[in-house]
Parts: sequence; C-alpha cells; structure tokens
Amino acid sequence: MKKIIISGLLTGCILFVLSYGGLWLAVRFFSALFAEYNNPLFNSDGNRDVLFYLHAFIFSFALSWFWDRFKSMFRGHMMLRGLEFGLVYALVALLPVMWISFSALDVTFVMVLSWFAYGFIQAAVAGIALARLNP
Amino acid sequence: MFHIPLFLISLLLLLPLTKERWVISENSSLMVNGSTNVNKFACEIPAYDQSDTLTVSKNGRAAVLSGCVGLNIASFDCHNTMMTRDLRKTLKQKEYPRLYIQFLSLSEISDVTAKTQTITGLVNIELAGVTKRLEINYQISADPAKVIHLLGTKDINFSDFNLIPPRKLGGMIRTNDQLTVTFHLKIKTI
Repeated sequence: MKKIIISGLLTGCILFVLSYGGLWLAVRFFSALFAEYNNPLFNSDGNRDVLFYLHAFIFSFALSWFWDRFKSMFRGHMMLRGLEFGLVYALVALLPVMWISFSALDVTFVMVLSWFAYGFIQAAVAGIALARLNP
Repeated sequence: MFHIPLFLISLLLLLPLTKERWVISENSSLMVNGSTNVNKFACEIPAYDQSDTLTVSKNGRAAVLSGCVGLNIASFDCHNTMMTRDLRKTLKQKEYPRLYIQFLSLSEISDVTAKTQTITGLVNIELAGVTKRLEINYQISADPAKVIHLLGTKDINFSDFNLIPPRKLGGMIRTNDQLTVTFHLKIKTI
C-alpha cells in the first residue's frame, strides 16, 4: 500500500509538471487549436480550478494502483513496459470515453483526438515512471 | 442688484427649445469586439428587431435625448455557435435577456450633413442588471436619403457590469476584460 501511495505521489508530481507545462506551452504556441474551448460546455467561472489541477494526482493514484495490480503482465525494458501500459489504458479506458464524448457532446473531432493523444501520453509517462518506481 | 449668473440662466431658459423625433430603423446594428489569449472575436446583433423613437430636444448646439433602445441578448451572433452560446451565457441571457441603451444627451447637434461630424454624448447602458453612465464618441452624418447615421463607439469592461470574463482549463484560456462596443443607428426624423 505504501509503495502504491509513494509511487502514485511521485508520478503525480511528474504528471503535474509535464501535463500543465505542456498544456501551457501548447496554448502559447498552438493557440488556434484552443479557440474551440470558448464553449459553454467548459466551466468558465474558475470555481473548479482546484479540481482541474488535482487531476494529475487523481490520475496517478488510480494508475499506481492499477500498475501494482497488473505490473507482472508488462514485461521487458522499463520504457517498453510504460508504453505498453499507456497503450492498454488508451484502448481500455480512453477510447470508449472519447467515443461517447464525441457522440454526446458538441465538441469537434480534433478536440476529442487531442484529448485521446493527451491521455495516452500521460498514461505512457505514468507507466514509465511507475515501472521505474515500482518495478 | 443685477445678478449676472441668474440673468444668464434665465436667458438660456428663454432660448427656443426645438423638439424632433428620431425613429431608429430596423437595420441598425450593434457589434462587440473582444479577445482571449488564444483568439479574437466579433459578435454582432446584425439587425435591430424593432423600431424605437428617440426625442431630441435641441437647446442651442447641444441636445437632450430621451428614449431607449432594447436589444435581445439572444440576437448576438459571433459567427461561431460555441462562441455565441458562450457570450450569451457570460452576459447572463437567461436572467437578463435584454441589453438597454438609454440615450441622454449629445454634446453638439447642428445641421446633420453628409460630412461626418465627431461629437460625444451620454448614455446609460444596462447590461446584466447593472446600469452604467458612459460618455460615447459618436460620428454623425446623413446620407442622400436623409437617413442619419449615428455611429457610437465605447470601450467597456465585463467587470464594469459585474460580469466575469470567461476562463477555461484552469485559467489557461482567458477572455480579456475589455470589450469594444460599436453601434450603428440608422435614424429617420419625423
């Protein structure tokens, strides 16, 4: 349990820096892609900002438990295990969620595709970190 | 004793006060320009959906106006469905469905000709339940059909009307507080 929490916390810190740093850079350098977020579907008064920024840790703790439970199924080099873990997460969790999001919400395909890519990269990075921290 | 200020005020009061009625035609428009840290937007009410009348009381070169224009927030079009909905939500359309511009005065109103004159005037703008008195810069002219074109421009802030500019993704996408409001009234005198 202790290992799950510690590796989850450290992975959360890595994801926090990479995710929000990456997002900040993407908004700065590919600003046109983000114009679609001026949409009432997205919270606009800032009252959920804390929840938004906590996402990295919610994600890392969930993946840390998942990794601990199924890590024996991912074999090979740390990088390969992490990438495979990210791919499994993308197929099992992300794809169905993105599918239902695109079918039910008034969002563009490019937006949903970017969420899928973002989620896959996050899960792969988390997988690599977890393979290193909790082999 | 002869009191000069009182004498001048009395003289002013004796000046002939001429009244005119201005009918705002239905193809008048209003435009709002704003920006976010990722894009710019221009939203407009392309055609005024009713005809209102303003009363113009000329007193020398200046004029006192009375009358009000009410605009439907639902008529705003940002040429992008999502932005349009977002603007309407920000302006609290459900609670305050109309934006009102109450005309109060014009600094100068001599004969309106084809030559564009720059004047100023006071208006009260009521938006989202908050009323603000603002000085507007106008350009006024008349076309050959004797339609008066009154083009008003003013920079306002969302915060002036207790509105919160939208911010998305934890503040990574932010709408700037300042908006430029431009309205073009096409007026016929009666």
